[in-house]
Amino acid sequence: MLQGVKRIDTYEWEVPIGFVAGMRVPACFFLSESLSESLEPGAIQQLANVATMPGIIKNSLAMPDIHWGYGFPIGGVAAFDLTEGVISPGGVGFDINCGVRLITTPLAQKEVTGRHDVIERLFHAVPTGVGAKSALRVTGQELDTMMVKGARWAVDAGYGEPNDIVRCEDGGCMKEANPHQVSSKAKQRGVPQGGTLGSGNHFLELQIVREIFDEKAANAFGLSKDQVCCMIHCGSRGLGHQVCTDHLRVLEGATRKYQIKIPDRQLACAPVSSPEGKAYFAAMAASANYAWANRQLITHATRLVLKKMFSVDYDEMPLVYDVAHNVAKIEEHLVDGKMVKVCVHRKGATRSFGPRTADIPQNLSSVGQPVIIPGSMGTPSFVLRGTSKAMERTFGSTCHGAGRVMSRTQAKKRLSGKEVIANLARRGILVKSPNENTIADEAPEVYKSSQEVVQVVHEVGLSLLVARLEPLAVIKG
Amino acid sequence: MSFVEISHTADVKIQIRAPTLEALFSDACDALMQVIYGTSRKGILKKDIAITSQDIDSLLLDFLSEVLFVSEVEAIVFSKADVHIDGTNLYAELEGEPFNRQKHAKGTEVKGISYSGLLIRHDANGFMVEILFDV
Repeated sequence: MLQGVKRIDTYEWEVPIGFVAGMRVPACFFLSESLSESLEPGAIQQLANVATMPGIIKNSLAMPDIHWGYGFPIGGVAAFDLTEGVISPGGVGFDINCGVRLITTPLAQKEVTGRHDVIERLFHAVPTGVGAKSALRVTGQELDTMMVKGARWAVDAGYGEPNDIVRCEDGGCMKEANPHQVSSKAKQRGVPQGGTLGSGNHFLELQIVREIFDEKAANAFGLSKDQVCCMIHCGSRGLGHQVCTDHLRVLEGATRKYQIKIPDRQLACAPVSSPEGKAYFAAMAASANYAWANRQLITHATRLVLKKMFSVDYDEMPLVYDVAHNVAKIEEHLVDGKMVKVCVHRKGATRSFGPRTADIPQNLSSVGQPVIIPGSMGTPSFVLRGTSKAMERTFGSTCHGAGRVMSRTQAKKRLSGKEVIANLARRGILVKSPNENTIADEAPEVYKSSQEVVQVVHEVGLSLLVARLEPLAVIKG
Repeated sequence: MSFVEISHTADVKIQIRAPTLEALFSDACDALMQVIYGTSRKGILKKDIAITSQDIDSLLLDFLSEVLFVSEVEAIVFSKADVHIDGTNLYAELEGEPFNRQKHAKGTEVKGISYSGLLIRHDANGFMVEILFDV
């Protein structure tokens, strides 16, 4: 482990005040011995940098998928006081409300295994990759409504069913959204991209539930062994990216205006209560809503393909849940024995609200919210459940994925897209992408073991294992 | 081409060295386009960009962010940037061609240009910068 970092427990490590100048609180992260071998010093530096920000409460935190990003580390979580604290795009990222959702189907593995035609049809139904545009063009007032209502906009427009909204974090809508804080440039980017997947690590995957760890929770979530599911991983597309870019510029000025000292310009921030902070939050929330509507549109397109090809009913493909893993929220948490409203940033971290907390569907209240952790093309994904421990220790947060261990430059040198596709095919996993280079970039070998990452959060109790899903067919952007 | 991609686990980090500030900005634009669209890019149409920022590092970030925006919204893949800098004002004449999915869907989308580690350095050998693209 890095010099200056203290071990607190089997999986818990502390970065004490003083590791970087100006830290207001200690930083804390969760990691196993073997995952610590690939820990980058830059990620710990970024984690410590977050601890210097005004109004930070308790700790700057990181989950076991911590890695080197920009501003916050990826896997970073921090909560800020609403009066003394700040809000920063560096704690959310460019892809606002990048997130994951999972739908179940009544299909069995034998019905989809080796079916190139299924993956081809899905690929044509969901625009994917660089420059892909949607046939749907949401403009003007309609785009504003989409940014105000989120997933509900899509359901009201006929792209889903009412229960989909119930099964989204925040009901698929942050009420603080204000499309007037979203620039015309961001809106222009948003017009042709509703219902598009994007590229990079975003994917649409047919999976099979291979193992159930917690029957009661799986039952409540609607998951059973050997069920074919569909997982969708994407975010707010160019609209959200532009909102981050635009507001970063404004907040750069605000950082100076409010005389806030930051060790990294990407941590540009403003008091949560300031006009600049409020403007960013309202635009970020509008982008988050766009992302929920986007995932809902992709869900609808997916359901239509499966309905047509397998004669299953639309309502036989319910949403298990939809989680955001790049977002800032105003939430109520226990601080010094009192419930207080705080601004929680999750940058590559998933909300993990435990049993009997607000904003989880009533019929899941006794088990906690579903937590969806995507794997990569060849590695399993997991469903977990939120816990009271996460509420106490991490502002109701857990990990978001496996995290990379190999850079894109290394990946390209070592692997070819063709080889990766052939290797996966031998394991019965079909891959479709407009671009073979992306396949090499995103090969299973470049990621940490998702199994090991979820094992840490399970052991610590930040979320508990419910089910393991394995990929059958993958669309990569 | 005078840029190299340096190892970064999550994103794309580019190191650029150039004899002049203008060439540094031009090469940064080239790097951005290559990451998204690959190497096959022609100059058959023109586009002008003008930017003013508060300092030189921000000028580079704002310039690349604007190139990213114009490229996506107008579906143009740029092949060359002729950059003029006066203090913290920039004027660039870009050449490019319309986006063609068959030819240009060769890279990965860049979500944004990060401030993290962005610092233009100048010494006897010229100018150097490292830029992180979120992909």
